[in-house]
This record gives sequence, C-alpha cells and structure tokens, in this order.
Amino acid sequence: MKGYRKYFGKKIAWFLITLVAAVILNFVLPRLMPADPVSAITGKMAQGMTDASAVQEIYKRYEAEFGTNKPMVTQFLIFVKNLFKGDLGTSFSQYPRKVSDIISSAIGWTIALQLPAILVGWLLGNLLGALAAYIRKGFDKVLLPVSLFLSNVPAFGMAVTLLVLFAVNWKIAPIGGGYAFDMIPNFSWRFIKSVISHYQLPFWSIVLVSIGGQAVGMRSMSIYELNADYVKYARFLGIKDRKIVGYVFRNAMLPQVTGLALSIGTMIGGALVAEIIFSYPGLGSTMYSAVTAADYPLISATTLIITFMVLVVTFLLDIIYGFIDPRVKAAQFDA
Amino acid sequence: MKNTLRQVFHSSKFVVGFVIFVAILLTMFIYPLVNPGNPLQMIGVGTFAKPGTYVSLYDATKTNTETFRLPDADEKRLVKLLTDADRVAMVEWFDAMGISVEGLDISDTDALLDMWKANYDPAAKPKGMTQAKRNFYKRLNNSIAEIGAAETLIITEKNEETGELEEQGKITKTDYVNTSAVANVKTLPLGTDNFGRDVLKELISAAGTSLLIGLLAGAVATLVGLTLGLLSGYVGGVVDDIIMFITNIFTVIPGFVLLILISYSIGQEQRGATVVALVIGLTSWTWTTRSVRSQVISLRNRDHVNLSKLSGHNLVRIIVTDILPYIASYVVMAFILQVSSGILAEAQLSLLGLGPRTTEVPTLGLMMNWAMLYSAHTNGSWWAYFPVILTITLISFSLNLMNTGLDQVFNPTLRD
Amino acid sequence: MGKKILEVRNLKTKYITRFHEDVFAVDGVSFDIEEGKSLGVAGESGCGKSTLALSMMGYYFPPLHYISGDIIIDGKNISGMDPDAVRKNILGTEIAYIPQAAMNALNPTQRIIRFVEDVIRVHEPGASKKDIRERATQRFAELGLPASVLDKHAVELSGGMKQRTVIAISTILSPKVLIADEPSSALDVTSQKMVIKMMRELMEKGYIKSMLFITHELPLLYNVTDDIMVMYAGQIVEKGTAKEMVFDPTHPYSHGLMGSILVPEEGTRGAKLTAIPGTPPNLKKPPQGCRFAERCKYARPECRYTGIPERFFGENDSRMYRCLMGVDELKEVYSHE
Repeated sequence: MKGYRKYFGKKIAWFLITLVAAVILNFVLPRLMPADPVSAITGKMAQGMTDASAVQEIYKRYEAEFGTNKPMVTQFLIFVKNLFKGDLGTSFSQYPRKVSDIISSAIGWTIALQLPAILVGWLLGNLLGALAAYIRKGFDKVLLPVSLFLSNVPAFGMAVTLLVLFAVNWKIAPIGGGYAFDMIPNFSWRFIKSVISHYQLPFWSIVLVSIGGQAVGMRSMSIYELNADYVKYARFLGIKDRKIVGYVFRNAMLPQVTGLALSIGTMIGGALVAEIIFSYPGLGSTMYSAVTAADYPLISATTLIITFMVLVVTFLLDIIYGFIDPRVKAAQFDA
Repeated sequence: MKNTLRQVFHSSKFVVGFVIFVAILLTMFIYPLVNPGNPLQMIGVGTFAKPGTYVSLYDATKTNTETFRLPDADEKRLVKLLTDADRVAMVEWFDAMGISVEGLDISDTDALLDMWKANYDPAAKPKGMTQAKRNFYKRLNNSIAEIGAAETLIITEKNEETGELEEQGKITKTDYVNTSAVANVKTLPLGTDNFGRDVLKELISAAGTSLLIGLLAGAVATLVGLTLGLLSGYVGGVVDDIIMFITNIFTVIPGFVLLILISYSIGQEQRGATVVALVIGLTSWTWTTRSVRSQVISLRNRDHVNLSKLSGHNLVRIIVTDILPYIASYVVMAFILQVSSGILAEAQLSLLGLGPRTTEVPTLGLMMNWAMLYSAHTNGSWWAYFPVILTITLISFSLNLMNTGLDQVFNPTLRD
Repeated sequence: MGKKILEVRNLKTKYITRFHEDVFAVDGVSFDIEEGKSLGVAGESGCGKSTLALSMMGYYFPPLHYISGDIIIDGKNISGMDPDAVRKNILGTEIAYIPQAAMNALNPTQRIIRFVEDVIRVHEPGASKKDIRERATQRFAELGLPASVLDKHAVELSGGMKQRTVIAISTILSPKVLIADEPSSALDVTSQKMVIKMMRELMEKGYIKSMLFITHELPLLYNVTDDIMVMYAGQIVEKGTAKEMVFDPTHPYSHGLMGSILVPEEGTRGAKLTAIPGTPPNLKKPPQGCRFAERCKYARPECRYTGIPERFFGENDSRMYRCLMGVDELKEVYSHE
C-alpha cells in the first residue's frame, strides 16, 4: 500500500506542477514574442482614430478585464484570479459573448469525438499489432507496411480523403458540421440521429490514423515480450502456447497505456485539425475561427483548455496504469 | 562503420524507405532544372483548371491543317457533347411521354440516340412540362442534329476601317493540326490551383521547402535534445534534476499547443519558413532528451569511459570520443523521426492559418490550407489537395521505414 | 547398480541462425543417471551445456532443432514423441527445468499462485483452485518458503526468493528428472547457499529422483553432485565421480580446468574456467579431429585429423574420456609438469 501511496502522491504532485507550468507558459509565451498580441491590443486602443468606436469598446473591455496597462506581475495575478472564477475574458470576434461560454459549448463535442476515437484506435491498433507479432510470416509482412503507411497519413489527410469519398462522391455521409445545419440542438430522436451520422466520418478518420502507430508500437513490444525468459520457462513447464500468448499480450499491452498517455498530446493536435476539415463544432474549429478572426482571448483560452484536458487524461491514465500493472508498485518499493 | 552500413542496407525496410526518399529528393532537384520558373506564378486566371494538356486555340487556328476522315469522329463528338445530365434529361423525356426505357443503358450513346431520334417530337407537349424545359429539349435536339451535318466554322476578323467582319479562314470537321506545330501547348499534369498556379511545379517546390523546414526543425530539436540529454545523463546530480524537471513538464504539455501560441504571437509578418521551423524544433526536443539521457546513463560507468576519466580527459573529449559514437545510432533515428514530425507540424499549423508567410515560398501545409479555403475538396478538384496529402504521407512513410530498418539493425531483439 | 532413471544416447541438436546456418551445439552426447543420483555438467560458456539442458526436454522450438539421438526417462523414450504429447505428459511430471535467469523466469504481472494453477492444470485440468493452493502451500512450506509468496507478483520478490520460488514451481509435480541450468549463479553467497540446500532437500525428500546440474563453477559441483562430466565444444570429453574428476582428471582439458582451481571448499565461489588460453572452435564447422587440439598443450599432428574415440577405464569401465592418448601416457605427461 505504501508503494501505491508514494506513486499516486508523486503523480498528483506532478499533475499540479505541470498545471501551474502550463498556466504560466500560456500567460508568458505570447507576451515574450515580438508581435505580442497583448501590446498589439493596447496599441490598437491608442489609434482609436482609425477604429470604429465599437471596436475600441471591445479593446477597452479587454484592457479592463486583464489590466494590460498594469505591470506584468499584476497582470498575471489578475489572469490567475480570473481563471479561478472561470472567467476567460470576452471574445473579440463574437463580442459580447464570453470566451468561457464559447468554449463550454465546444468542449463537449471535442471530448465526445476524440476520447472514444482515440481509445478505439488504440484498442484496434494494439489488437492488430499483437496479431502481427504472434502470426508473423505473411500477415506481418502485409500488416506492418500497411500500418506504417496508415500511421504516416496525416490526420487531416485522412479526414479529407474520407470526406471526399463518403460525403462528396458517394453521398452516404454529411459533408460537415456536428448536426444538420437546419436543426436546433434538442433531445429529439431526429436530432440524435443527425448527430450520429455527422459523427461517423470525423470519428473514423481519427481512429484510422491512430490505429497504424499503435499497431507498430504494439508489434515491437509483443515481439520483445515473446523473447522474454518467462515465455521460455512457461513453455518448458508444459503450458500451452495460447496461454503464454495471453501472458505476453497483457505484459505488452500494459506499457501501451503509458504510451497512450505520452502520445495523447501529439494525437490531439492532429485530431483538432481533423475537426476543422469537417467543420465539427469542437475546440479545433473554435481555434481555427479564433485564429482567422485574430481573436486573442479565444485563442489563449482554447490552448489553455486543450492543455488542461491533455494533462487530466495523462494523469488519469497514469493512475489507471498504477493500478493495473504490478511492476509499478514494485518499482516504487525499489526506489 | 562499413560493416554497420552494409547491415543497414541489408534491411529491406530501410532500403525501401531510402529508395522512396531518394526518389523524392531527386525529383525536387531535377524537376526545376527541366521546368524552371517561379512556382508561385499565377499562369491561369480562373481557378482549378483540370489536369491535362492545353492547346492554344488561337495558335491552333493559325496552324496549317491536314485533312483526316476518321470514321468515328462524329461518334466521339456526340459522346463528348452528351453530358451525363443531358442523358438523364433524355430519359426524363421518354418517361414523360410514357415510353418504356426498360433495358436502356444511358452510357450506350448509339442506343440512346436511336431511341431519341425515333421518339422525339418537338411539337409534343408532355404533361406538366414547362416551356423552358421544352426549349431545352429543342436545343439539345438541334445540337445532336448538327453533329452529323457537314457544318463549317468561319473565322472572321473585324476590319478596323470599315467595321465589317472579313472572312479569314474556314474550319471544317475534318481539319486537324499537329500539336507540335501549335506554338503554345501547355501540359499541366496536376492542373492549376485556386490561384491559377501550376500545381505540379508548386508541389515540388513546396515539398522541398517542407523538407527543409523538417530538416531544420529536426536539427534544432536533435541538437537541443542531445545537449540536454548528454548534460543530464553524464553530469547527473542537480543538473540532471533540473533538466529532467523541465523535460518532464514539456513532455506532458502538448507541443502542438505551445506551437500555436508561439506562432500566433510571433505574428504573420515575422513568420517566415525559417522561423516556423525554429519554433517547431524548439517545441519538440523532449523525446530526444529522454532517450539520450537514458542511453548516456547506461554508458556512464562503462570501463572505457572510466578509463578515459582516469586518463584525465576533459568532459568534451569524453563525450565526443567515448559517448557520442555509442549513441549515434539513436540520435540518427531520433533525428529522422523529428524531421517527419516537423513536416507534419508545419502542415497542421498552416491548416490552422498559422503557417509561414504566404508570399514567398509554397509549403505543403500552405497548399493544403489554400485548397481547403477554396473548397477544392467539395468541388471535385482532387488535384489541388490529394497530391499534397500523398507527398506528406510518402515523405513521412519513407523516413519512418528507414527508421524502422535502423531500429531492427541496432535493436536485435526486434529482428525477424 | 541402481535403476537408470535417465538415459541419453548420442543426442544431437543444432541451432539454425537467422542467416540459415547450422550451429551444432550438442553433437553426440551420451550419459545416464541412476535413481537418487545427481550429475554435474561443467564447461566454459558456449560449450553447449545450456543447450544440452534445453535439448533434453524433448520439446524444441526455433532456433533449436532436434537432429537425432534418444532421451529415455524411466524406460520411456521421449525423443520421438509428438511435441504436444511431450508437453502434456512429460514436461513438469517426468522432466522439469530450472532456467539460468530466474530473475526474468516468472511473468512479472502474474501472481505466483495463478502461475502454479496454470502449471498444475496442464496435467490435471480439473484441479480446483482450493486444492491447488493447499498443495502449493504445503510444498512451499516444506521447502522453507513462506506461503505469502503465493499471492505476490514476481516483481515483488527478491532475487534469491525468486530463484527459490522458481525451483519450487518447477518441482511441484515431483518430476523424475530435474535439470538445473546454473540455478545459483548471479545470486549473492547467502542466497546461493539456500538454493543449494534446497536442491539437496528436493533429492532427500524424494520430490525428484535425479538431477542434472549445470554450472561453470566447479567447486559447486564437487559439493552438490555425485558425478561430473566435462563438456567441450558440444561433446562430453570426460566423465567420472566428483572426487575422481576433481582430484584425478584425465583429459587434458579437464586437467587444465581442475588445475585452474584450488582445492575446493564448500561454498567457495569458484574461479571461472578461463584459465586455458585460446577460444573454443566455431561450431558451425566443427574440426574433423580432436576439438580441443587447437588449445591442447600435448596435441600431436594426428590429433587434428583423426576421429577421437571414447575410451573407458577404471572399475567396470565407469570412467570415460575422449583422447588419442592412453591414461598412463597422460599421467606420465602430467607428472613432468
């Protein structure tokens, strides 16, 4: 039990530290850059002559909310205080909507799309990788190059390909959006059906892209495990190959949980871009429209929220891993 | 060294990856020599011209003709003339007139036409058909009839003085010109993009730029990662703690997010291809740091390193002669992966609208971004985006294949 | 003479490398072990002694392949048997194996009891969990292992504990022959002693009827086993009782080996058998003549070309060696050193 407590304590501490670091980076990085958006905002205020008064109003409000004319440290404190209140400022492009309001309407879509897609991709990829490692020979010869190729198709490429094939050419799927454009979100059966049909292409494009990489990783891991000493020993005790394969896959699969935790940050980048292709109403599209409209408060908030989501998922995966892999407990006792 | 190289080239995966990569590289170098010019030049006025060979109509009319009587010329004209929509419309006419179309294949031009000639009646007024629709059928019928006629086109020129049209020449259906005799013929294997630019030329130039971005990003990431990893692993102690603390933080905070933040804040003006590459490199060094560090730690107490320490060699020399050679293969592999993820990162950034400045050089990401902005994917202009996706995939695939091949050579447990 | 539990006749096996080359690692090995006896195998690393251990299981998987020869356990020849029959009826009950690297011999993510269940159920598919736990607890207790081990994962056990657990699991079905491949090397002295004690107990309590003990540490063999044979380049070069082999070695190779160690005392960690200059021959193309000729101080030109017969001497011809020179001739040569 002591080992576990130490492990979880360490993980929680790390989660908090990285969270603080992420918030600081999110605040500091833009302000360190040459064309610093924050001072650009203050700058735009000064040249009020050319700006329409409504625009000036928007910037004034930003200045008041974030105290951009005050020293950096004060600004940071205001930023953190606002964060705790859940206040991420007011959007420039969708004025006077609050950023937190825009984000909360997008975040559900992103989570509902990406979490299942990445998990399904991970699961299918691991199964295929394990099969390739076990069967080797012909299956492996075909599967490995195909997986490698698939894993190198960029997420947006897969998204465009699926979109063109299924939505444009064969017209068996909608072209984009989270639901039919003529509907208002509600809990009717018709709406849910529309959501499901709009869900398919983005979902499968993310799944297909993540399968390849996972399969390749799992294959190497399984081959490594198949050569382990315990496999040989179990064989010499007369244990059936099928049972031994069970040992091997469990052992190879467990580190893949950590692998997922480590790669989720990279995967989410591709998946967000895939959202843009499908105009899926999630954070990816939000970020895209924010960038296009030079809506700094929205960009800053979106990046922060995405980082936060990745940190939480990584943390949860680490915790789950600690429970399911006894090697972790042992390592903590050793340390 | 020689032996290692031979082993590497024995790996079929490495060789396949290497061949694809070299083929791409060669294309990048040779194509601009064969077909020089600015890849961003807008040669077309409209958007998305289809791939194919374009013949200057003006020049063609001024070119000497030969007469050929090709037996299937009319038929071919008909096939081109009757679009799919026309054919469907013809079937609609039959339906409206209550004529059975059982067994009719609309792609069979002869059968369709026979049936049309037998049944069409300009005077008929099918129930519920508008006047406009009836006129459409009349026009369609006329153009079908014209194909068979020995019609001649007359080229006229306006006389500046009298303002009258004067006949300059005739074009009959049996006139042919040799394409090599026409002054201006342009082949666009991949058509043009939304700005009317030659996609193939642009693509090859873009692949070069993207590869350079990848190489620069990879070099920066590898250099930073290698330096930090060596310091952390070899020096140990507080240095190790600090470096690993920072590395661990940047491992969990997604690099893509940092990339977006920084790229946006740098601003469109400062964001040249080089700057983008540097930023990508500076946000993706954590993997290299981790793997170099663990390698160095396992090397740190080997006999040959201890011997070198006892001999009083300095840090730099020990690292260069006793450590680097042993981790070189890992560093090379990490570099290859960084290059491919750098190319991908540029593409994703550009799709978000945060890519390099658009005025100087094309990159694969920018091409993709333009294609998407101008809805190439929904209007059927596959040539504007599909070759881009394929190029990114192939570059990345070839690099990863090489990497897998190297991995199998240097990690024997993975061998087949 | 006691009843023969194990007879190995002219066993030949090979490895096939990934470049499709044959490596003849066990090349015509014959010996037998009587009930209640233990036999030690000594030799440098790479001499084929570990391969001999693997080859005797009658259960081959790549890269190891069977060529010819017989392995007879208690009158039953297992070498020609169908691999699945060997797996079901021989492994674990007739012949059992203790691997060299006990550190990694147990699946790290499985509880010991689960593995014991898997092992027992190979032979008794219907055995209940309760029954298995009772049997395991009892056997572990008799071998001095705490019952708490059963509910742990391998990663939670220390090195010595892991090795003892492996030994207990290997012998849980009371096999007739136990093959131990360097069970005590890579352990600290205390753990090593415990392992040796355990091996003796196994014999004394009758959980195993005979044992083949492989090691590169000669003093250990002198203390543990009744007989010793010395292996070189895939063949047995000499065989005799432990005492004879240590104090009166005949073959020049054994002579060199024994000469390289001091008088053994119990528990002494032996000098490694590297005192003879030179390296063993390449087993992809074994030499025509004597395999040791290249390194032999007393080699004559004909040694390199002539096939070397096995020679027997001593009481009931109980001792064997493989050399062109006669026993007296060799004694004569050694006395001049």
